[in-house]
Amino acid sequence: MLTQEPVVTQQTAARSVWGVVRFVYPFVVVALIWETALRLGWVQSVSLPAPSQIAAEFWRLAVTQGVLWEHFSASFYRLAVGYFLAVGIGVTVGALLSLSPLLRGLFEPVLSLLVSVPTIAWLPVLLITMGLGDRTVITTVFLGGFFAITYNTMRGIEMVPRNQILAAREMGVNGAHLFFAVLLPGSLVSLITGLRLGIGYAWRALVGGEMLAAMIEWGIGKMVFQARFFNNVSIMFVGILLIGLSGYLLDRTFLRWLEMATVERWGMVRRR
Amino acid sequence: MLKRKAALAAIPIVIFLLGWEALSRGSLLNPYLFPPPTTILMELGNLFMKGMPAQSALLMHVGMTLWRVLLSVVLGIVAGVIVGVAMGLNRAVYSFFDPLITVLMPIPGIALAPLFIVWMGFGNQTIVSLGVLSAFFPVVYTTVAGVRSVDPQLVRAAQMMGSRPIGVVLNVYLPWAATYVFNGVKLGLARCWMTIIAVEFVAASNWGMGYMIWNAAENLRADVVYGGILLLIVIYFILEKALINRLESRTIARWGMIRQA
Repeated sequence: MLTQEPVVTQQTAARSVWGVVRFVYPFVVVALIWETALRLGWVQSVSLPAPSQIAAEFWRLAVTQGVLWEHFSASFYRLAVGYFLAVGIGVTVGALLSLSPLLRGLFEPVLSLLVSVPTIAWLPVLLITMGLGDRTVITTVFLGGFFAITYNTMRGIEMVPRNQILAAREMGVNGAHLFFAVLLPGSLVSLITGLRLGIGYAWRALVGGEMLAAMIEWGIGKMVFQARFFNNVSIMFVGILLIGLSGYLLDRTFLRWLEMATVERWGMVRRR
Repeated sequence: MLKRKAALAAIPIVIFLLGWEALSRGSLLNPYLFPPPTTILMELGNLFMKGMPAQSALLMHVGMTLWRVLLSVVLGIVAGVIVGVAMGLNRAVYSFFDPLITVLMPIPGIALAPLFIVWMGFGNQTIVSLGVLSAFFPVVYTTVAGVRSVDPQLVRAAQMMGSRPIGVVLNVYLPWAATYVFNGVKLGLARCWMTIIAVEFVAASNWGMGYMIWNAAENLRADVVYGGILLLIVIYFILEKALINRLESRTIARWGMIRQA
């Protein structure tokens, strides 16, 4: 059994504050140089807003008008539906493919061909066949996550040592019990990699889908795309920065927690 | 054995295509949305012949996209290796650029497209700039990791034997980091390909596979859309197998840095 986790001491708290400062300072430096360059007139452009203007635009969108949250909740709803479908179906398909040599022989080559298609390339097909609305965007998100998750689930289950499976069988563990008690935990390192890759792809697919599906009204991608029609570059900057930040946070928060609570605690991978 | 594998893999594809063909010909599937595969292939043939003998419309689209990808990947790799080496060698540079890269890297190229369209208009400038960015980030990321993993004893040995700093970079750091850089190049190529197709949807003015597919979707030409996607699959397959894998076996695998598959 591992020793108990140490209580968060002042020292580690100080270190995490220092970590935040170290993460944020380059952004502050860039913003300051950018702002000064514009104020002093070194750079002059109507299509390059100063950081202060971008911040003001953010304030207007987030607080004064509050539309930002409307965009965000629409995006996250699509992401959640599409991603969870991808997880459910992807893990099932991946497990089936890894457990049956016949299914694998039949479908793995198709799968590895389809993985290489950029998710966004499916979008025109979906726009034609499913319409210009929410369904299309959610399906794009699903496709974005599905392939990475399926592929990594399959690889993960293959990597479970044969001896472990035989030992479990010997002790009378079979069927669903075998899957949940041996195969799933054993393949978790690879599976979590798939989940992390999947959320990244799904997020990108979401943004692309929202931009190109004409009939949707809300969504962070839509916000950036629409800003083009009234030439509001500040809105674009707010949207783009938030897209980057959300992508980063999606990767580093809940899947990171899952990783820490399972494979790292069980000592399957080194702690970072 | 290999034949058996290929035959097995062909079964679902053949069934799928035959089923599609039959359902579409029998109008059980809407033939406007799901034209039969033979029609799709014929349409690709038509596009290929269009404008012949002077030029082929299809080849123009494909050539334009490949040219953009090539240009972007080369520029992205050069910039990525330079920034990556600088970050790997110097802690201050690293701690400054690392947070910026972590936040900028997950931004999809298409999200930046509206901004770049405002700045540079429709066409090659916007498309290639976004392509360069998308290839740049993975290369930086892996180059940094590669340079930081170099055994310091090698560096000291080279310095002791009188190697100048630039020589140390070229003869010690870069060869050592080659496997990492190569992984970055692979990732970069995949992302660049994806980004260029996507940006061509919105920012291309007359040529490019993305433009071809998008234009067809807007005109409800489903046959061209499916044909275009089929071509995307084939071209990427060739790029990966013929180009990347061959390059890999000629360089890092030959130098014994990775196992030859």
